[in-house]
Amino acid sequence: MRGLFAVVMLDLKRLWVDRVRLISSLIQPLLYLFVLGSGLGASSTMGGKGYLHYIYPGVLGLSLLFSSVFAAMLIVFDRQIGFLKAVLVAPVSRFAIALGKIISGALQALVPATVLLVLLPLLGLDLSLPAFVELVGAMLLAAITFSALGVATAARFRSTTVFPILSNAVLLPMFFLSGALYPLDRAPTWLRLLAHVDPVAYAVDLMRGAVLGHTVYPPLLSIAVLGGFIVVLTWLATRVFSAGEEI
Amino acid sequence: MTDAATSPALETRGLHKRYGAVHALRGIDLTVQRGEMFALLGPNGAGKTTLFSILATLLRPSEGEARVLGFDAVRERVQVRQRMGIVFQEPALEGKLSVRDNLYLMGLFYGLSSRAAKARSIELLRTLGLEEVADREAQKLSGGQKRRVELARALVATPELLFLDEATLGLDVDARRQFWGEVRRYVGAGGTVFLTTHYMDEAEPADRIALIDHGQIIAMGSPQELKNRVGGGVLLLATEDDAQAAVWLREHGHNPEVSERGVLLVEPEPATVLPALLASLPVRTRRAEVHEPSLEDVFLKLTGRALEGGPAKPAPRAAGGRP
Repeated sequence: MRGLFAVVMLDLKRLWVDRVRLISSLIQPLLYLFVLGSGLGASSTMGGKGYLHYIYPGVLGLSLLFSSVFAAMLIVFDRQIGFLKAVLVAPVSRFAIALGKIISGALQALVPATVLLVLLPLLGLDLSLPAFVELVGAMLLAAITFSALGVATAARFRSTTVFPILSNAVLLPMFFLSGALYPLDRAPTWLRLLAHVDPVAYAVDLMRGAVLGHTVYPPLLSIAVLGGFIVVLTWLATRVFSAGEEI
Repeated sequence: MTDAATSPALETRGLHKRYGAVHALRGIDLTVQRGEMFALLGPNGAGKTTLFSILATLLRPSEGEARVLGFDAVRERVQVRQRMGIVFQEPALEGKLSVRDNLYLMGLFYGLSSRAAKARSIELLRTLGLEEVADREAQKLSGGQKRRVELARALVATPELLFLDEATLGLDVDARRQFWGEVRRYVGAGGTVFLTTHYMDEAEPADRIALIDHGQIIAMGSPQELKNRVGGGVLLLATEDDAQAAVWLREHGHNPEVSERGVLLVEPEPATVLPALLASLPVRTRRAEVHEPSLEDVFLKLTGRALEGGPAKPAPRAAGGRP
């Protein structure tokens, strides 16, 4: 338990002292929202409530996905500068390190997401209290899933050169396939099939359910799928931290 | 728990390590007693870091057994890690965090409560003379200060055993002296130190030294014992043609080694033979030197090669020395 606390504390302290990262993580969601919302929103309405309602959960998904995976990528920097070694040689279980990294990544991703939540009333989106609670719950689940994805991936890499490749070849497709920007139920079949294996699709759908009141997937299915992803990815991350002769 | 308290600090038997085709360690048998300061001395690529990493639970041996403080370095690595501290060759501080926070967080990693970690950090800052820089970002410290913080970090959980891997590489003389002074203090208080180095002056203050070359320990003993193995005094001749001088010396019953410094001879009474040699050598001698054997001479004598590979230059990481 103390090990887990240490891992999370370390990362949060580092975010706190890294003012550039902290401030940019506060500004980034605004950028997403205004570019996507006003650019695309001017030309279309959807679900009767306007595109902004529709796009809002998608922007939350985008922000959570990129922030949490970016936070996880810092593991690679730590490995490169040798700092990770000092952490890995401490008497902390590999599971605690993996889970701690996942939790801290999720918390870091929730910083910009909270900015988006605070903006809700300004955007003219009125949510009932149960819907708001539902949305926050979905965000937490999404943040942990994406963070687990990031940690399980980043723990494998020894060089930062993979970042742009990962971002372009994995994250962007995952985001575009997810239906964050368009309704999945009206998408072509091949796209819908691909979305079935995309955790971002379930996460965005769950958040959208809270905002718009209807979903593509049954909410319980989404929760189960995301929970499954979290378990498997945490297990994978633990394995990566334990394996490898040189740690 | 039974023999853990009385067992040697370090014990290896038939330790081998292979990286693919590279045979980095070829059967290491080693025992380090508690309270000892033990140095592993050898050139880059000799297997120092590999042996170090196995003992520090960072690497699995291909063959053989390593026990640290009575625990198996592979199967009981958690028990080992709870009782050891380590200073790596590469810096391992979070540069953006303050010195105090670096120590505090490491305390948490070693299972201290938040309060205990804070108290221990303050204590270490004081004993290591780091109070003035306690709230400075770690990246803004001088090289010597950074190393002292790393030492403090390694000591945060009050370890029984301290591992130091080329710990003062690249430091100036003053910073080095200060660092080793602190290490000595730790040994004086009953701690055990296992260090690697390829500088003989860093190995010199150790209680015992193991010379390692090509993955094997070629000599082990106190610095004085090792020097005695040279068997006499050292005579160093810098001539106009060292190779020719060596040939002549060999023909006349001597056993010279040629190094970058000149031709090296070990004689029971070097000062006695010097005048005759100077008179009869076929090449002109520019400089002649008689001295007590150094660890450098020991290494040269045993391997025919120089330890540091020429004049003190920053050591590049040896290719194949570790993966």
